[in-house]
Amino acid sequence: MPDKLFRTISVSAMFIMVLLVSACAPPVAKIKVSRTEVKPGDPVTVSWETKNAKKIEVNGESAEKIGAKTVTPKQTTTYEVVARRGSKEARDKAAVTVVVVKPPMPTITLRAEPGAIDLGRTTVLRWEATNASTVTISGLGEVAASGQREVSPRVSTTYTGTAIGEGGNATASTRVTVTEPPPPPAPEKPKPSPEPPIADQFRAQVRPVFFDYNKSDILPEGREVLTKIATWLNLERNRTIVFRVEGYCDPRGTSEYNLGLGDRRSRAVKDFLVSLGVDGSRIEVVSFGNEKATGTEEGAASAPPSWAFDRRAELIYVRGGDRP
Amino acid sequence: MPGPIKQLNRIRRTTLHGGALFRAGWRSGLSLVILLQCLLISTTAVVPAGQQPPAPPQTGQPEDLRRQIGTIIVTPGNGPSLAVADFQARNAGLDQPVGVFNTVLWNDVRFSGVANLVGKSLYPRTRLADPASLRFEEWGEDPVKADYLAFGSLIDATNGQGYLYDVKTRQGVLTAQLSGTEREMAHQFADQIVKLLTGQDGIAQSKIAYIANREVQMMDYDGFGSRSFTRDNSINLFPGFSPDGKRLAYVSYRSGFPNVIVRGEDGLIIGATRFNATTTSPSIGPDGRIVFSSSKDGNGMDLYLASEDCSGARRLTSTRKSVNISPRWNPRTGQEIAFISDRGGNPQIYLIGADGSNERPFLTLGGQMDSPAWSPDGRFIAFTWDGGGGAFNIHLADVASGQVLKLTREGRNESPTWSPDSRHLAFQSNRTGRWEVWAMHIDGSEQRQLTRNGGRSPTWGR
Repeated sequence: MPDKLFRTISVSAMFIMVLLVSACAPPVAKIKVSRTEVKPGDPVTVSWETKNAKKIEVNGESAEKIGAKTVTPKQTTTYEVVARRGSKEARDKAAVTVVVVKPPMPTITLRAEPGAIDLGRTTVLRWEATNASTVTISGLGEVAASGQREVSPRVSTTYTGTAIGEGGNATASTRVTVTEPPPPPAPEKPKPSPEPPIADQFRAQVRPVFFDYNKSDILPEGREVLTKIATWLNLERNRTIVFRVEGYCDPRGTSEYNLGLGDRRSRAVKDFLVSLGVDGSRIEVVSFGNEKATGTEEGAASAPPSWAFDRRAELIYVRGGDRP
Repeated sequence: MPGPIKQLNRIRRTTLHGGALFRAGWRSGLSLVILLQCLLISTTAVVPAGQQPPAPPQTGQPEDLRRQIGTIIVTPGNGPSLAVADFQARNAGLDQPVGVFNTVLWNDVRFSGVANLVGKSLYPRTRLADPASLRFEEWGEDPVKADYLAFGSLIDATNGQGYLYDVKTRQGVLTAQLSGTEREMAHQFADQIVKLLTGQDGIAQSKIAYIANREVQMMDYDGFGSRSFTRDNSINLFPGFSPDGKRLAYVSYRSGFPNVIVRGEDGLIIGATRFNATTTSPSIGPDGRIVFSSSKDGNGMDLYLASEDCSGARRLTSTRKSVNISPRWNPRTGQEIAFISDRGGNPQIYLIGADGSNERPFLTLGGQMDSPAWSPDGRFIAFTWDGGGGAFNIHLADVASGQVLKLTREGRNESPTWSPDSRHLAFQSNRTGRWEVWAMHIDGSEQRQLTRNGGRSPTWGR
């Protein structure tokens, strides 16, 4: 009996020892890739096999003991399997080299024939692009990779063709020079018909009216001047005279605004004359802003050039007043 | 610190659309910190001692506006660095055209304000005519340290070949076949570099019209190639390009009265007003409609909206006896018009809808304002302002916040006009003793004289 007991114990002990030994067997890991050299986007199968491992990771992610997956690496990648059991581990690596084939630079040529035309004529643009996904030509928009187009620019124009591809950009420019026909001779100005004597009388009567800086109010002196002129204009024989009030400014303000200020000055003169009985339909109003200003300092209205003289309205004879 | 950086990033993203290259690489946290410090230094340094900054803006601080503009104009530390090597002559007898080409290209790229140009004194001595002789380490490492490198050669006086390389990745990003005069070729290549770096069209091939000798003149954007556009033998004033640059409206006295004339780029007349009154300040909107100021109805200067041939004028404003003048479209929306009105006493900036609705003051800071010019992107209005008694200077107002920045300081400076890329302004200045056309970046830097024989009222075309 003790014999049998001894045998049972020893078998059990051996069994436990085998168990212990097998439990302590080191883990084994293997990994391989279906292709070691690929282009970007190509599929690669990564497969692995492990033994005696409790915890398996492929590139940091936990995995089955035996497995495979398909990947499409964009760049050269190393795949690693780690098989762990307790403090023991096994590793294996396999690399996939990704060979990047640099896409070729696009090219483009662009020519205009002829390169110089007279205004109104046409020229032909010819272009040819390679390795491009998009081709555009300034003024024409997107075009085919190669082609030709008749154009008739109104002014000298630089056409730039742009070819955009995976490999970069290419441009080509060509200049079409447009020659304008010589300008027609300026029409001869009709000689002004001699002015009637009334124009001289008008000029003898009128005086400029002066204004304060940035103002369009008629000053007392101006009222006096305009009242005299209105009396003369209202005489029966002068009632058909049409005249123009021109408004001027000194150059201290900005020229764009001054054109409006000059208009308001001439309009103030018109309104004042109308209030004195002069028919408004006889009065044209125009502004010259500071376009004719000559002053460089305030000075006196009576002694141009001066800003004081620049700020004025003048009355100009236009037509009428001549008895039939 | 993270707060403002994030905000800056956001601003930059909203300002610099497109331009894949522009977004790449160079923007690191460190450079942003440096940028922020540069901006703080520059804002304090800009206002000279003893001189008051512009009158208090309605909201916010000018520093905010200067910082916004700092994201548009590249200043050291906040953009990619670019080396532009001298082009080489492929054949004999090209010294003169190559010299002109290199000068023009350098000035174009520098004035574009889209990259930090690395000074030529740091460049390697070796001549660089084609990619085969390009040694990246010479350009990517100290002292050049360029992110991008432009180079190339002239084959003859009218043909050239340009290249742009990303030095870090060692990739060619552009090959450009150039054709034209040496100036034209340089402008072409500069615009293509700008397009690659920012995604936006450059301005090196654009034109500026202005007034000299009482006629409308046309010149290249850098002041060269000036020629007469009109021969009206009268007084011509206030030219204004359409947003597409294909039309030009201006004021002419050739009818005896100031009237508006619109011409195509070929010089042919498209339309004109025929009023016996003062009609002035035309501005062509993106749809071709024209807004101008006229006293034709006898109530003072009011704004009118007309068709592209100037017909069918319809009155927009009606403030008796006040001057409503200098209207300018918002070229981005084509819906709003900025203008000058002295209805409150002084000429100040107002806004009105193109349908006559929503008329309201925009900037009423006192003093005299004129010539409000809306930027093509709709964000800013540039204008001239005497600051309430001083000399007239170009100022910039942020449309959304009403913040104002002063951009010029020397002499009188008036009539601003925007470049199509919203990065530059041209204007008239008398700082040399007479009116000439000048240009600058919209932060006031790089002010340069364009005309030499007199010039006023510039308008920047395409």
